[in-house]
Amino acid sequence: MEEALEGNLELKEIQRLEGHSDRVWSLAWNPVAGAAGVPAMLASSSGDKTVRVWQQSGRDWDCVAVLDEPHTRTVRSSAWSPCGKLLATVSFDATAAIWKHAGGDFDCVSTLEGHENEVKSVSWNASGSLLATCSRDKSVWIWEVLPGNEFECVSVLQGHTQDVKMVQWHPFLDILFSCSYDNTVKVWAEDIDSDDWHCVQTLGESNNGHSSTVWALSFNSAGDEMVTCSDDLTLKIWKSEIQKQQVGDGYAPWKHLCTLSGYHDRTIFSVHWSRDGIIASGAADDAIRLFVENKDGQVDGPSSPSYKLLLKKEKAHDMDVNSVQWSSKETRLLASASDDGAIKIWKLESIS
Amino acid sequence: MEPNQCPNQPIYSDSDFLGPTVDLDETHIQEGYRDGFNDALQSKNQEERESGLKLGFQVGEELGFYRGCIDVWNSALEIDPNCLSSRVKKNIKLMGELIDEYPVLDAKIVDVMDQLRLKFKMISASLGLKLEYDGYPKSSEEQGLDF
Repeated sequence: MEEALEGNLELKEIQRLEGHSDRVWSLAWNPVAGAAGVPAMLASSSGDKTVRVWQQSGRDWDCVAVLDEPHTRTVRSSAWSPCGKLLATVSFDATAAIWKHAGGDFDCVSTLEGHENEVKSVSWNASGSLLATCSRDKSVWIWEVLPGNEFECVSVLQGHTQDVKMVQWHPFLDILFSCSYDNTVKVWAEDIDSDDWHCVQTLGESNNGHSSTVWALSFNSAGDEMVTCSDDLTLKIWKSEIQKQQVGDGYAPWKHLCTLSGYHDRTIFSVHWSRDGIIASGAADDAIRLFVENKDGQVDGPSSPSYKLLLKKEKAHDMDVNSVQWSSKETRLLASASDDGAIKIWKLESIS
Repeated sequence: MEPNQCPNQPIYSDSDFLGPTVDLDETHIQEGYRDGFNDALQSKNQEERESGLKLGFQVGEELGFYRGCIDVWNSALEIDPNCLSSRVKKNIKLMGELIDEYPVLDAKIVDVMDQLRLKFKMISASLGLKLEYDGYPKSSEEQGLDF
């Protein structure tokens, strides 16, 4: 049962995970670990060319694996498959690696090549049948997962005019979102009668979009709202009538709902929407901020929501916060990663 | 090709036979313009021919490379039709069609070449091939054939 977000709350530091010898770029919680007796598991990607896998053990966290092959440059991002058994890692060396996790061991079972330069992000779709990657080469690649850990390129999506920073599949529909240095978010979907994918919508300045690099995006648990963060110092909330799309009414476009400005004074690198509706942001001012929808005095009705700052954790790290990720299993548990090489685990709780 | 008339050329009526002599400086301007125009036209033709040859070679070489790859892949498929997945087979077929229908006499060729390069990248990636055509610019760099 979720507690109301009232009273004085604090983000309490539970653990500091050290081990990486360079900045930590990104974090990924294993989606099946952390419940039913399976200890929580977290993967971190670093400029030291490795991925570390951390596992909770009682109150502590241990590093249970260091994946130091095959990447020859910074590992920029990683993502677990929905079943939790595969981990995809992507690197500045222009490749993606697929790891199989079985009985505590990690084996590299496949390497995907194709991008021309630094790969920035990777994402699995909801069913684990498709993988998406994006790169500084401005393209987004979609791969199909075949039996025997084979991967086949389904489509190379071109449309962004600059470095693509992140890709993220919709939480339950096979629609892909990408955001870029070109200030836009693009939405990609498969053609009805062919294997081809194309851009169905671009969220740019003309649709109240960002005016600078869009670094990340995240969906709410219902999948009908999305938050984006940018170098323009704002967070933007977008909405789609996704229920219509689900019943086959055709593509439901995303529309700007509101902009959260004035809360950040440095670039916002990461944003993540928790299952219980809290938006966490990580920024270049070393701080973590939490936002929730402002439900007080909602006179105007649900059509004009507003958000309020729940909490600002200054000096969360010693340097830029590159990634914030809520655990999908344990409520109010947040992990953050920084240029300072550290990873921190936080718990949002009432001040005792 | 007739040289263009120098702009602002005065017009003399038939009875004014002294007109061009009186306007001698104007006559010289006309001659100079005509000679300059003809010279420029000749050198432009030469430049255009050279550009055309260069471009034609580049396009031909790249098309030939893709044709060669497709021929090898099709040969493999003749030996074992199931050695490649249906998606890869479809892309090879589409690539072959793009080459067969390539508009060699059309200057607006960049689109088709881009499609070919894309299909080639997809097929190579799926086959795990580290095969690259050395000639073409990467999409991360500025596009465009210089001509």
